Amino acid sequence: MKLATIDYAILILYFSFVIGIGWRLRKSVTSAGDFLTAGHKVPLWITSLAFLAANLGAQEVVGMCASGAKYGIMTAHFYWIGAVPAMLFVGVFMMPFYYGSRARSVPEYLKLRFDEKTRGLNAVAFAIMTLFSSGISMYALGRMFQLVLGWSFDASVLLSAVIVLVYTYLGGLRSAIYNEVLQFFLIVIGFSPLSILAVQRAGGWTGLQQKLPDVMTHTWKYIGASNQNPMGVEAFGLFAGLGFVLSFGYWCTDFLVVQRAMAAENMSDARRTPLLAAFPKMIMPFIVIVPGIAALALTKSGGGYSLPMKGNGYDYDQALTTLMAQFYPSGMLGVGLTALMASFMSGMAGNVTAFNTVFTYDIYQGYIRPKASDSHYLMVGRLTTVVGIALSIATAYLATHFNNIMDFLQLIFGFVNAPLFATFLLGMFWKRTTGHGAFSGLLAGTCAAAATYGLTLAEDKGGWIANLHSFPSTMAQNFWIAIFAWSTCFIVTIAVSMVTKPRADSELRGLVYGLTDVPREDGINWYQRPVPLALVVCAALIVLNLLFL
Amino acid sequence: MLDLRLPSGLFFAITGIALMVYGIVDSSRAPLTAANVNLYAGGVMTAFGVILLLLARRGSKA
Repeated sequence: MKLATIDYAILILYFSFVIGIGWRLRKSVTSAGDFLTAGHKVPLWITSLAFLAANLGAQEVVGMCASGAKYGIMTAHFYWIGAVPAMLFVGVFMMPFYYGSRARSVPEYLKLRFDEKTRGLNAVAFAIMTLFSSGISMYALGRMFQLVLGWSFDASVLLSAVIVLVYTYLGGLRSAIYNEVLQFFLIVIGFSPLSILAVQRAGGWTGLQQKLPDVMTHTWKYIGASNQNPMGVEAFGLFAGLGFVLSFGYWCTDFLVVQRAMAAENMSDARRTPLLAAFPKMIMPFIVIVPGIAALALTKSGGGYSLPMKGNGYDYDQALTTLMAQFYPSGMLGVGLTALMASFMSGMAGNVTAFNTVFTYDIYQGYIRPKASDSHYLMVGRLTTVVGIALSIATAYLATHFNNIMDFLQLIFGFVNAPLFATFLLGMFWKRTTGHGAFSGLLAGTCAAAATYGLTLAEDKGGWIANLHSFPSTMAQNFWIAIFAWSTCFIVTIAVSMVTKPRADSELRGLVYGLTDVPREDGINWYQRPVPLALVVCAALIVLNLLFL
Repeated sequence: MLDLRLPSGLFFAITGIALMVYGIVDSSRAPLTAANVNLYAGGVMTAFGVILLLLARRGSKA
């Protein structure tokens, strides 16, 4: 793929806007709170779009297009089953405790609700995970631009890292959030023409249905048994593994996304952030997954395009960029590539801003220097940003040997995030849950995840202890790892809580259901209340699923 | 505090106009489509950028 001057001009224009936003926001940072939590002063429309965009990184755009070509419209389950219900849940039920507790981070909520050790465990695991994700973003970016444009891996990694560093260092979380919104607009505008052009070329949706096996254009029809669909998953694994454990574990407890909602101006806005984000989230499959499906249809029907080969199969990860090369002229190509670069960078920035908050408040202030001045923590926050990006670069060079970014990230989710949702569910809705219970539950859950991975085999992955069961796909294996981890954590937390001493009710006010005042909604229009809003989202979700049954 | 609609609107308006001009001047097309993608996409971007700028202006008056 060859770029023209106008393509480079658009890329440079975008970089200057990104840095310009950081520069303009530098004056809004006068305290550690401004830098790390955006001072709880971000408007609702921005927190909503950032809530969505923070997750719209490398694995999303490139991986979802690849999965579209590999699995068809079933990939939309990652959005419709695997994200939207959890987004509704966190907005309606959990945000009152997160925002109401005045915690500055998710680990800090765990400290208020449980104890120091539960917070420590979560903070350290989360910090490592964000660095990993950020590094993987960088690695994917470097590799892609090397492959597509022939740019040097080192140069793309360093350039993107420096730009992310500049704008997050200057404007902190607010700068990262603002740029995520700009990136979100760019993704929608940069990729929807590709979806329209590719589907049009393939003869519209009916053309896709004629050119492809039936399974590629239906979301539910072939989900009954794992051998009927290319994902190799069955309905229970999909609902319990993806739809419940993984999705709730991510959207309801991952500080990276929750942080965006916590930056809102008030409780009502914080609750509505994920609910409003659910609307564009539902539509995203048409922008990121459908082009992949069209790519496969064009390949099969000889439409002048074919997916690149890798070994004996298709190289699905290249679906997006090769489509762009065929459908975008110079100019629009620059917009598409800028959108891609932007999504990689904001994926990085999201991780870095979550990392510096957790490190500064939960690790540094928690264990290293508890009683320093605010300006000291601001300095530490800034320094952590630099160190975090440096460590991400190091991780980028380590990130190899995994054939699908999506599967790899889900493996990490399974081990660390999956048990977490059981802890929050019990912690928020059962006041009897104790710190010892939460801590041992989390440990047991993570061990159960590792053990499941060690005892089962899928596509030659796992099974390092013994092979007790073979899964038809790594995706099915990941879903079941999550299910076992969650159930183990749930049971162990309850069992240990029953034999340990609970905290007094008076200490749990604002932290647990039943001991917290329900946010008042008098005099608020019905469409601004969380529950009716969530019901509208549900109705739209059902319609979408029926359309693509 | 910076109103995000201002820089976003400006970015899309500039990019959109540049694309439209390029689409009119340059007659080359992408391999698999006969449509003038730059012209249409540029038009949409410009419209989006202008809407954001108008909203920002209305917001600053209020």
